[in-house]
Amino acid sequence: MVKKKIGIPRALLYYYYFPFWLKLFAELGVEVIISDNTARDLLDKGVKKSLSEICVPMKILVAHVLNLDEKNCDYIFLPRFKSIRKGVVLCPKFLGLPDMISHSLPDLKAELIADQIESKNDDISAYVNHKKLAKKLKIKKSEMKAALRKAAKFWWRYRQLLFAGYSIDDFLGVEKIEVLEKLITKFENSKQLPQSKRSELKTAGNEEVVDIALIGYVYNVYDKYINMDIINKLKEMGVRVHTFEMVAQEIIEQELARLRKPMFWEFTNKLYGAARHYFASKNIDGVIHLTAFGCGPDSILGQILEIESKDYEKAFMTLRIDEQTGESHIITRIEAFIDLLRLKKERN
Amino acid sequence: MRLSFPYMGPTIVYAKLLELLGHDVVMPPRPNKEIIDLGVKYSPEFACFPFKVITGTYLKLMEQGVDTLVTSGGHGPCRAGYYGEVHKKILHELGYDVEIIVIDSVRDDYKYFYQIAKRLKGNNSWLKVVQVLKIVYELTKALDEVEKKVEILRAYYDNTVINKIWLQAQEDFYTVKDNSDIKKYKQRYLKKLAAYSDQIPAAEDRLKIGIIGEIFVVLEQSINNQIEEKVNRFGFEVERSQYLSDWIRENILPFTANDLKEIEHKGEEFIEINIGGHAKENIGHAIDFKERGFDGIIHLKPFACLPELISQSVMDDLSNKYDIPVLTISIDEQTADANVLTRVEAFLDMIKEKNYREVM
Repeated sequence: MVKKKIGIPRALLYYYYFPFWLKLFAELGVEVIISDNTARDLLDKGVKKSLSEICVPMKILVAHVLNLDEKNCDYIFLPRFKSIRKGVVLCPKFLGLPDMISHSLPDLKAELIADQIESKNDDISAYVNHKKLAKKLKIKKSEMKAALRKAAKFWWRYRQLLFAGYSIDDFLGVEKIEVLEKLITKFENSKQLPQSKRSELKTAGNEEVVDIALIGYVYNVYDKYINMDIINKLKEMGVRVHTFEMVAQEIIEQELARLRKPMFWEFTNKLYGAARHYFASKNIDGVIHLTAFGCGPDSILGQILEIESKDYEKAFMTLRIDEQTGESHIITRIEAFIDLLRLKKERN
Repeated sequence: MRLSFPYMGPTIVYAKLLELLGHDVVMPPRPNKEIIDLGVKYSPEFACFPFKVITGTYLKLMEQGVDTLVTSGGHGPCRAGYYGEVHKKILHELGYDVEIIVIDSVRDDYKYFYQIAKRLKGNNSWLKVVQVLKIVYELTKALDEVEKKVEILRAYYDNTVINKIWLQAQEDFYTVKDNSDIKKYKQRYLKKLAAYSDQIPAAEDRLKIGIIGEIFVVLEQSINNQIEEKVNRFGFEVERSQYLSDWIRENILPFTANDLKEIEHKGEEFIEINIGGHAKENIGHAIDFKERGFDGIIHLKPFACLPELISQSVMDDLSNKYDIPVLTISIDEQTADANVLTRVEAFLDMIKEKNYREVM
């Protein structure tokens, strides 16, 4: 095997799959470089190199790819996520992602590794999904398979913790695999409940705690720069934050089964199922739809959620973020929303 | 059941189809400022432009007592396949009691397809349905054939003269009852147009532009700022990547669209897999136009169209590699006619200039 450096952009589905990839490359003994956290100058470079009307998450991805290229990676790991559920695909931009990068950034020094991922469920560890990777890194099939099995097992432990109410935010920032393993073990054995489940929460002014479902894609909800660290802002204001990945797969399936025609995009479906679950749930005081500028699937989902929230009589707000969003704008909007929810609670 | 449908391209074809099946059909209004404004008001802000236009068309139709709307569906990943479901919600929210029949592919939901097919069929026998479909397909082919001639001749003749014939042709085609009518009108209008073909110069002096892009904005003149006429006015012939008869061939009739498959295959060089809409086909068409000696490509897309954004991303590379100029124009409710005209004019000037230098 050749010792090579492989870069992973900290964008898009990184937030969902990073424990899987970190474990996989650790098992294979490959050196991994993760791009820096999103920041102004990093993002500006990406914005310059992307089409002006493409959605913000894609601009962020371009920025991270450029950042990796500056770090002298040999390869950039950019799988083409086609499907992670039978008959359902992802957004067209995910399907065409490697094409877009290779043709719009022809000057990249690093080589792209763009395996096509087609899986029946969230578990993407099949060998066919990593054929190109194995070939490029000259890894034997058996070795690759063994590493994939271990990575899948590791990722599943992480996924279970998310179902149990932990937030992806609790794991972010940990990039050393040994530390991440310790963290996961610690959470698994911890007697303390995750933030979204805790009944005793202290707020500065001893105000009432509210429960908000924050509906949005992982790359919008967990990129602290682009959303102005909304999760921690909410927590500081005494909010228990609930997200889609805490909802059990069976519940989402049940909600989707009631539709004549589910949507075509897997993560949008996950959000939709989770949102319906939260709409119907008595414990949730309000729902925030966090969406990025120019998101196509969200333009459809947002409209549906807005109409359905009225049927369920649930407070609902759309929060749109883009590369120019100001911090005060986000704070003002969530403060107003939370105040409203508290008033409503007091009245009842 | 009072039926109508969205307005796109040669609308008479859909009207004819439903009429021949004995339905009470209301012709949808041609999209205009009023309809677009109405659509924008009641659609999600970031929905694509075709969605907004269709919302406006539906709302306008509500004034005419339409109770059933027929539209096409799809299985993604382009947003267009989900329009019907969202329109249902929007119209119900606004208090309209209207049914939207979404024609999905048989493969997606066999039972549902059978149900709606039975409803649309009405009291006709299946044999009659097949006959009607055949007439409609012939009609589409005839219309497209005449239109292709129009798109060439308008480059060399005052477009009012040619447009007059084209409008007349559409009116006459609307009255057809069977295949012999279609044949009659087709021959009549092709002959009429042939009288003008003396002005077509020698092959090497003809300048041609290929128009590719998202099907709705490519087909629908009233929302793409009559781009074809604009290009024609500067003495360029036009051919589109999309004609309705091609769409029918590709989606409904089996085994007839091998040439289209080949074109799609060409697109694989830039977009490896099908990513929805016609992105991959469009890339194939761009290469095909170049191979057929076209001088430039105009790429039309609705603002923030998902698949076409990917094709736009690879377009620079394609343009360099195949040495063909490409102009991409995003269309939405804010697109101004003068803007499109200026950009088209500059683009076409550049192409003329390029050829001129080569002669020197």
